[in-house]
Amino acid sequence: MAVSASDIRSALSLPGPSNPGPTSQPPVKKPAGTSTKKPEGISRELFALIGPSAPSLAAQLAKPRLKQKPNLGTTTNTKWEWRPFKNEARSDSLQLCHWVKQSSDIDDGYSFAKYNVDTIIYTYTLDEYTELLQDDNWTKEETDYLFALVKEYETRWYVVHDRYEYPGGSARSLEDIKDRYYSICRKLVRKRPWSGDETTKSQLLVTFEFDKDKETMRKKYLESLDERTQEEIAEEEALFIELKRLEQNERRFKKDRDDLLRTLLGISSGLPDVIPDEDNLSSLSIDTKKKKKGLAEVETPTSPNVISLGPPIPKRAQPVKSAAHDSQHCITRVELSASSANKSHTAAHLRSYKLPAPKAAIAPKVNQTLIELNITYARLVMPTRENSLQLESLIETTTSLLETKRLVDKLDQDIKVAKQRMGIRQSGEADEASMDVDDTHGEDAEGGRSQSVVSTKSGRGRNKAGVHAVYPVHSMTFHH
Amino acid sequence: MVAYGGDEVSALVLDIGSSSIRAGYAGDDTPKAIVSSYYGWKPDASSSASGDVQMDEASGEKQKQEGAEAGADQSTSKSASSNAKLYLGQHGPSIWRHGMEVGNPLQDGLITDFNAVPALISHALSDVMRIDPTEHPALVTEPAWNTPANRERMAEIMFEEFQVPAFYIANTGVLNAFAAGKGSALVIDVGHHMASITPVVDGFVLRKGLVSSSLPKFVHARAHHVLTNPTQTRPGVALYPHQLILSKQPVEPSAPPQFTLREDRVAGTTDTWRSWYENKEVDEWIQTVAGVLNQGWNEQAAAARPLRQYEFPTGYNTYFGSERFQIGEEFFHTSPQMAASNPNMPKNIPNLLSESLRACDRDLRQVLLGNVVLTGGGSLFGGFAERLEAELSRQFTHIKIHAPGNPIERRYGGWLGGSILASLGTFHQLWISKEEWQEHGKAIVGQRCK
Repeated sequence: MAVSASDIRSALSLPGPSNPGPTSQPPVKKPAGTSTKKPEGISRELFALIGPSAPSLAAQLAKPRLKQKPNLGTTTNTKWEWRPFKNEARSDSLQLCHWVKQSSDIDDGYSFAKYNVDTIIYTYTLDEYTELLQDDNWTKEETDYLFALVKEYETRWYVVHDRYEYPGGSARSLEDIKDRYYSICRKLVRKRPWSGDETTKSQLLVTFEFDKDKETMRKKYLESLDERTQEEIAEEEALFIELKRLEQNERRFKKDRDDLLRTLLGISSGLPDVIPDEDNLSSLSIDTKKKKKGLAEVETPTSPNVISLGPPIPKRAQPVKSAAHDSQHCITRVELSASSANKSHTAAHLRSYKLPAPKAAIAPKVNQTLIELNITYARLVMPTRENSLQLESLIETTTSLLETKRLVDKLDQDIKVAKQRMGIRQSGEADEASMDVDDTHGEDAEGGRSQSVVSTKSGRGRNKAGVHAVYPVHSMTFHH
Repeated sequence: MVAYGGDEVSALVLDIGSSSIRAGYAGDDTPKAIVSSYYGWKPDASSSASGDVQMDEASGEKQKQEGAEAGADQSTSKSASSNAKLYLGQHGPSIWRHGMEVGNPLQDGLITDFNAVPALISHALSDVMRIDPTEHPALVTEPAWNTPANRERMAEIMFEEFQVPAFYIANTGVLNAFAAGKGSALVIDVGHHMASITPVVDGFVLRKGLVSSSLPKFVHARAHHVLTNPTQTRPGVALYPHQLILSKQPVEPSAPPQFTLREDRVAGTTDTWRSWYENKEVDEWIQTVAGVLNQGWNEQAAAARPLRQYEFPTGYNTYFGSERFQIGEEFFHTSPQMAASNPNMPKNIPNLLSESLRACDRDLRQVLLGNVVLTGGGSLFGGFAERLEAELSRQFTHIKIHAPGNPIERRYGGWLGGSILASLGTFHQLWISKEEWQEHGKAIVGQRCK
């Protein structure tokens, strides 16, 4: 039985779904194609109830579907077979069985047989032995035994040495065995006719290289290293740490001395373009780095310090010989003033970087004045030494001009005020007391009044008033 | 398949140890059959004349066992004759039978008595695994100190009695290294009877560096001694097996036990069975409470550890404190007075280690110490691996110990390595086939299984 949405709504006395007007009209009859399509996974009755207005709910109610299983190759099941196989690496007819795919070829051979590789062990004939390989320490039989063992264990020397038990023979060390084997191999390679080229022969000879004395020595060192007692190890460690500390101390002393020397040399040579300043900076930054990174880093930073000590010394000798040289090469030497020497050295720089500029506070005024005077200075096309000196003097004079003008203005103003006051005093004695108090109020009151006076004037006057508050500070700097 | 080199030919792996025989399929991670190496046997009715001799031997052994000395295992000194009735496996020695003796074919890790071995193997393969051995190639393990005669005998048993198509005998040391995924390793194997240290290089045992001692047996004897002798706080513990106890009442901790024995059974109990069960009881006590201190012997540290309660079959129960660490300490430290009073004391682990490393090449030392493999059920003492690491790092630098946390892997490492080896495709060329056995005879075993 189908219960329509309108039935339920009327039972619950709810308003209609979207258009409350015609309730009798079932939602099915709404213009199709808008969004009334029933989502999958919801029964028709339920959709009729909730309507198209609850898509999120509908998504949740959708029947959960499992992820599609991955398609792993063939759809048909692979048939496996328990099949006997023949291992080519075996010399007998043993047939073992294993599981293989039915589809695989029976004649394919055993896939693991290819891993059965033999190492090539040299052999010798009796003639070769008597001719080349005689050794007082070794009999032919023992050598044969050795070669058989090496072949059996495929040159795993530790195992060969472990299993080496030649009846009646003297005890052989690992080095004895190796030495005998490799020396025989070397001799055989050298004496036998060689079909290939010489490089492969020498390469082969290199693989048979064995220095018995060196090996024995190495082993002995290793042994003595192992046989240290705990105290010896502790002492060694302590000594090592002490050594490191001493080295570090020495390095620090050296660095300090270098820094000091560089400072002194830098002044006495009078060369501001010597690198030391930058070097100082870099060594400073390295200092902090070093603290973080520890000892290992120390060696690298010191070496540039030591090297950089070099250049100042020849340069110091230069000024003596070079007055003529200077003029020839257009070199001008600048005497450092005492005050700048007190400061840290200035780095080498382009002159254009150090062009004189007016003080920031009065810069706009200086500009304005210069414009009024039809001088454009903003950009020096060629900042030679002379040019920049001239520019400097220009700016200086402009600044002093402005200062003078300001003084004059100030005096004018004072005179005006004084005159006005005199006028007021003459007109009414009663006001005088309050005016006196006002007068003693200080800068702010004064400034405020002067501003009120000036405000009646032109824009230029206002400008002056703006500067007025700053003025005392300037005068102070001037006087000192 | 080729990626990991496996190719299974349904081979069997048979690992015969002092406490149990493990059998299973190669390629599995756990043996299918774990059968106790101890077996019960009743002398044939016709050969009862030997009863007097047996009694004499038994009393002599009992005296031996009283002391702390790790004497020869009494159960192996006499064995079932070929026509005796054997009781094997789960329903074997653990069930009380009138006049049943208990034997173990192994002594010091070696099979010394081959009479019961076929029966034990047959029990594991046919009765537990329910397979036909003639269909499966079999890989058998041997301790590194096995004799050539022994391995040939084992090959003979497998080929002649079990008719296996192919056979191989592999060294437990090597197999333990393989089980840890290493070709070169220093394998420290602490088993039921023997502790051994085997240097393995490229899958070969370095025989000169191989050392072993019956340390676990000694530790066991110490534990037996500690339990049965009274201390200041408790009386000596009576180790009656539960099969001999008729009834018991629950008692407070450390209170004397209240139990009645089954007098009807006591008379028919043999000494071998009795001592076997006592040892089993001691083993259980060790496994439950004993441990090793991490950093050497220290009274305070031992006393600071929590007490552990243990109840014996008689109903006697008490808390064990520092004495449970004394037992484990025997592995690492031998007290001087004990060494003085007992000249053939088994060497402890640090001694074995230094002896083994001394015999190896210097260049190998770092390789071996970087690949220490700890294995064997005896190493499952709580804190054993940590203590070993502490002992080693005291003497050497750059050590690395591989000690599987999984008890199955630790106890059956040899079997597991055999399972890995026998399931490798490249291994199948090494099997000694029946054809080769018939052609070359016993000599082939020594040639093939290096």
